[in-house]
Amino acid sequence: MSENKANNLNNNEEQLALDDGRRVKVLSPGMMVFKRFIRNKLAIAGIIILAFMFLFSFLGGVVSPYRQDQVFYKTDSANKEYASAVVNTEYRFVTRDGSRLSTLVRANFSRVIKDAGEEGVSFEADGAAWTVRKLGDSFYSIGTAQELGTVTMLGKIADVKPNPGMEISDEVKAAALQAVQSGTLEFEVDGQTYLLTKGKAKSYTLGTVAETAIASLLSFDTYSSEDNALVAGFEFRRAAELAINEGETAFEAAGESFALEHEDGGALIYRAGDTENPMATVSNVIVNSVTSGVFLPMDYKAAVADAIADHQTAFEYVNADGVTERHTIRMRGNNYIIYTEQQTYLIDMYAAPSMAHPLGTDDHGMDVLTRLMYGGRISLMVGFVVMLLENLIGIIIGGISGYFGGWVDTLLMRFVDLFNSIPYYPMMIIAGAIMDAFEVPPYTRIFLLMAIMGIMGWTGVARVVRGQILSLREQDFMVATEATGIRISRRIFRHLVPNVMPLLIVQATMGLGSIILTEATLSFLGLGIKYPLASWGSIINAASNIYVMTNFWYIWIPAGVLIVLTVLGFNFVGDGLRDAFDPKMKR
Amino acid sequence: MSKKSKETSYISARESRRISKENIRITKKLDKRLSRKHVPEQEYLTQMRDEGNVVEFDNLHTYFFTDVGTVKAVDGVTFEVPVGKTVGIVGESGCGKSVTSLSLMQLVQRPNGQIVDGAIRLNLGDKAYDVAKMPIEAMQKVRGNIVSMIFQEPMTSLNPVFRIGFQLDEVISLHNPQMGKEEVKARSIESIKMVGIADAEGIYNRYPHELSGGMRQRIVIAMALACNPRLIIADEPTTALDVTIQAQILELLRNLKSEINASIMLITHDLGVIAEMADYVVVMYAGRVVEKGLAKEVFLDPRHPYTIGLMESKPVINKTVDRLYSIPGAVPNPVNMPDYCYFRDRCEKCVARCQGKYPPEIHVSDTHIVSCWRYFEEGAAK
Amino acid sequence: MSMNAVSENVVEVRNLCKYFPIRAGLFGRVVGQVHAVENVSFSIKRGTTMGLVGESGCGKTTIGKTLLNLTPKTSGEVVFNGNTHLDQLRGKTLREFRPKMQIIFQDPYSSLSPRLPVGEIIGEAVREHHLVPDHEYDAYVSRIMKACGLHDYQKDRYPHEFSGGQRQRICIARAIALNPDFIVCDEPVSALDVSIQAQIINLLEDLQKEFNLTYLFISHDLSVVQHISDTVGVMYLGNMVEYAGKEEIFANPLHPYTQALFSAIPIPDPTVKMNRIILEGSIPSPANPPTGCKFHTRCRECREVCKQKAPKTMDMGNGHRVACHIYDPESGYGRA
Repeated sequence: MSENKANNLNNNEEQLALDDGRRVKVLSPGMMVFKRFIRNKLAIAGIIILAFMFLFSFLGGVVSPYRQDQVFYKTDSANKEYASAVVNTEYRFVTRDGSRLSTLVRANFSRVIKDAGEEGVSFEADGAAWTVRKLGDSFYSIGTAQELGTVTMLGKIADVKPNPGMEISDEVKAAALQAVQSGTLEFEVDGQTYLLTKGKAKSYTLGTVAETAIASLLSFDTYSSEDNALVAGFEFRRAAELAINEGETAFEAAGESFALEHEDGGALIYRAGDTENPMATVSNVIVNSVTSGVFLPMDYKAAVADAIADHQTAFEYVNADGVTERHTIRMRGNNYIIYTEQQTYLIDMYAAPSMAHPLGTDDHGMDVLTRLMYGGRISLMVGFVVMLLENLIGIIIGGISGYFGGWVDTLLMRFVDLFNSIPYYPMMIIAGAIMDAFEVPPYTRIFLLMAIMGIMGWTGVARVVRGQILSLREQDFMVATEATGIRISRRIFRHLVPNVMPLLIVQATMGLGSIILTEATLSFLGLGIKYPLASWGSIINAASNIYVMTNFWYIWIPAGVLIVLTVLGFNFVGDGLRDAFDPKMKR
Repeated sequence: MSKKSKETSYISARESRRISKENIRITKKLDKRLSRKHVPEQEYLTQMRDEGNVVEFDNLHTYFFTDVGTVKAVDGVTFEVPVGKTVGIVGESGCGKSVTSLSLMQLVQRPNGQIVDGAIRLNLGDKAYDVAKMPIEAMQKVRGNIVSMIFQEPMTSLNPVFRIGFQLDEVISLHNPQMGKEEVKARSIESIKMVGIADAEGIYNRYPHELSGGMRQRIVIAMALACNPRLIIADEPTTALDVTIQAQILELLRNLKSEINASIMLITHDLGVIAEMADYVVVMYAGRVVEKGLAKEVFLDPRHPYTIGLMESKPVINKTVDRLYSIPGAVPNPVNMPDYCYFRDRCEKCVARCQGKYPPEIHVSDTHIVSCWRYFEEGAAK
Repeated sequence: MSMNAVSENVVEVRNLCKYFPIRAGLFGRVVGQVHAVENVSFSIKRGTTMGLVGESGCGKTTIGKTLLNLTPKTSGEVVFNGNTHLDQLRGKTLREFRPKMQIIFQDPYSSLSPRLPVGEIIGEAVREHHLVPDHEYDAYVSRIMKACGLHDYQKDRYPHEFSGGQRQRICIARAIALNPDFIVCDEPVSALDVSIQAQIINLLEDLQKEFNLTYLFISHDLSVVQHISDTVGVMYLGNMVEYAGKEEIFANPLHPYTQALFSAIPIPDPTVKMNRIILEGSIPSPANPPTGCKFHTRCRECREVCKQKAPKTMDMGNGHRVACHIYDPESGYGRA
């Protein structure tokens, strides 16, 4: 056993007598406690757990890139309805400036157009006679007609007979005759258009037409909103549509010249001299966004129209960001519905664990890991503050009770009994409800919660302190302080309190676990910490929904594990401290 | 100045760490050996040096590996307990007398306390075991059956929630599994009667707290006797008792001694009790035997200065002295003991040789052995 | 430092009684009383030691504490220095009088505050009562420690670092430091080893001579009491059954209990064959003491009268008092 003799004596020690107290070095009291503590494996495990919890909670919040109440959104890329397109079958009317077209007229128009020829059909509405003339393919002119007279053809001779009360100038008469002879039914005199309508036999009715509106199936879309007014203008529309119908490549309107490029079912309009940038498109396909308030860009509409015209089921479109999107077209009734992989922006609820959110997100779209870190702060903080509060009250009341004894003790202990018989959870539920009713802000709520928990929980500490002081008071060293006439304050603070401290430290450590549990319970029940603040208990609250509990384990399991570990940690450390302070308790 | 002394009196953290590490290393090794299962009997079978002895302690070393260093609580103790005799072990607290007896029972608090060397030969009649080498498993059959123990505190050695009879029955049936229930009870009552309790049936149904301290100690003795052990270790059996009760218990033990065939190892610090009870006396100091011999020899002709001092420092009734003799100093803390007579620093009769090594065992007579340099020449002459 | 009027007797005790109530039930109703001390009278002369012997539960510790008013007495009188009734002092006055009478306890482990350094334990009350000027304080504590066989370097150590004997020295130092007139030594050596016992006894004797102290030495160990005391009182179940000077009582013990007690002590000499009186049974519970003479249940000399009548304390002369019917010619003991 040579190693036992390794504890060599140095010269200094050899000079001391064997029974000299200085010969053998002893462990300092602190070291003794420390050694006994670290020898306890469970206590070390507890310390490691707690160290982790503190780092996790207090450092984690700093390190975490997110705030505790940061809501995360996701852009969903589901194939959703984006736009709808329809091949227009409804006539659109463009009225001359200052004119109106009543609904009745529009309805009559729809009724009569089938019969309308070049010479026109007429109907009566709104107390006026209306004439519809076909100007081109699905292109009609609507105007109010006034009968001036009758042109009768007798062989080569035409006679113009005005209606009673009407006067027809000679110029008009001549023009009318000429028109009849030439077979044209329309002529102009002094900028006024006159129409000849075939009547019975060889007679024509002569009338003037005041063109009120044009109707067509085409729709005009401008590339630039500056041109909206121009394009919407009657003159422009009429000229443009005429040009389209007649296959011309240029037209003039409003004193400007425009070029036309024909396409299937429509056309592109350029300003004269600018063949690069189209000014407007013309199409019989109407494209609308499914969501109101969203304006689809022109080129998109054009692309849709193209695709429909080509009978394609899908097309690609380069959006404003330069990203190529693939759109698919499906028929629904008469409509074409255009689907696309749409980037929707929504709260990222119950996101599964990922690199960005290692534990996913919760029902508010908040990062669970970050919430756990901040929740840990609150849980631990509540634990410590409540523990301190409990101990403060407990030490004072227990100390007074234990030291003075007698009727003071009886009174205080009955008071403790009284306090103990207040049902804890009902009280907390009431308190929680009151705080809810007053809409206490979350932070104030925490402080109130800590105060209530502290006030409700000191009785255990008081009992322990009282018991300990009662037994210490009977110890000889306390009798000795009385016998030596030491004043009471000194007896309490110099002799009693230091001796109660170890027990209190142990009690407090063990108590911390149960306080954290209580807080978790209250928060779980929704009485404790409230959104947007988090505590472990309130995080577990998510599990009160069976769907969440079964499907989103990553929301509540980690919080549960943290609570269990922390409580275990505090209990292990408490046990370790107790054994370290008082080795007699063990074995 | 005082601050400085304070610092030097405490072990440094590094030193403490070193000690702990060493302790763990040693105790682990020793513990492993003891915890083995199914150890062949041959391993701990041994031969008594003298068949007339129940126990022979041979150079026993029981160390405690503590935080402040290795405490050599028993450091080379050699003595034997003859059959039917009472050996009194006397010494002050911390001298290792209790640890010696606990070593025999293998009740030394492990893992810190370990028998590191030496042998304890226990005579079972037909064979002998070396307790120091016995695994825990085998040891359980020995405890209570062959060696039983009477503790100092009669209150704590009885379980307060069980009746006396139950506790006695338990011990008896544990070691005699072949016995029937009635038989066990009869045996229990018999052993209660044996310790001088008239109302044995009544006591059988009582709880320990209903009995006085003296009664309880009688019950503890009855329990120790219940299995007819070959050796009874009585560790301070009367220290916690009042003088008049102590007298009763001593009387009882003396009477029992002649009735039963067991040897008694009586451990006490009270020289008076030893003088009354013991046939042989072993005086221990700081983990070592300083003097041993027949009671008469040791009491009438004490040789070791420690024994002499011990006897003189105890006031004796009707023997007035003006001033008590007192051994100066205090019992040393048995950590890091040097290799010279442990008593040297307190001894007033030092000779030149005392500066040297620890004194060897010196025979001043055939039975009287003392470890003191003062008798070196005398012993060498023999 | 002593009082103006120095009386011969430091402590006079007259008919001291101390009953402890036995409480039971929810409201702690008093259902009985333990007669811990009953009608005990004695006085201790200045500079002498009175030994108080008896077995556990006989009330000797209670007497010690009652003398110091650490537990209030039930009735009777305790007069200190001829004129001070401790139980009439209150609050600060009592506190300031406290240093005059000190106590040393049996258990050196529980009698020291575990979390105070030794120097503080010893000097605390000295500073509290301003017994020495502040600048002399350190030197004073060192001197007291030295007088009690402690070393200066031990000032900053904590009690747990000391052995029992050293702790008892600390307790003694704590008491001595207050320069008391009277010290109750409540079994100061019972928990100590033999060699240490002798040291402490010698220390107590030395200090007594040095400071002219008066001791009440409580012990169950007759041999120690015999060594240290000048007068001896023997207690049994709260009664003082015999009281006499040391030589007188040891040479001529009168009470059967005293005789048994003396004979029960083991003599460390194997050649001496004791003619021992073995007392039967054990001490009755003080809560339910026997009628008549409390010792009659164990007394060899017990007769009918002992079971019925409590004995009177008889003065046998020479300050020897005994409470036993045998010595009372009027008791009717002899007649039966």
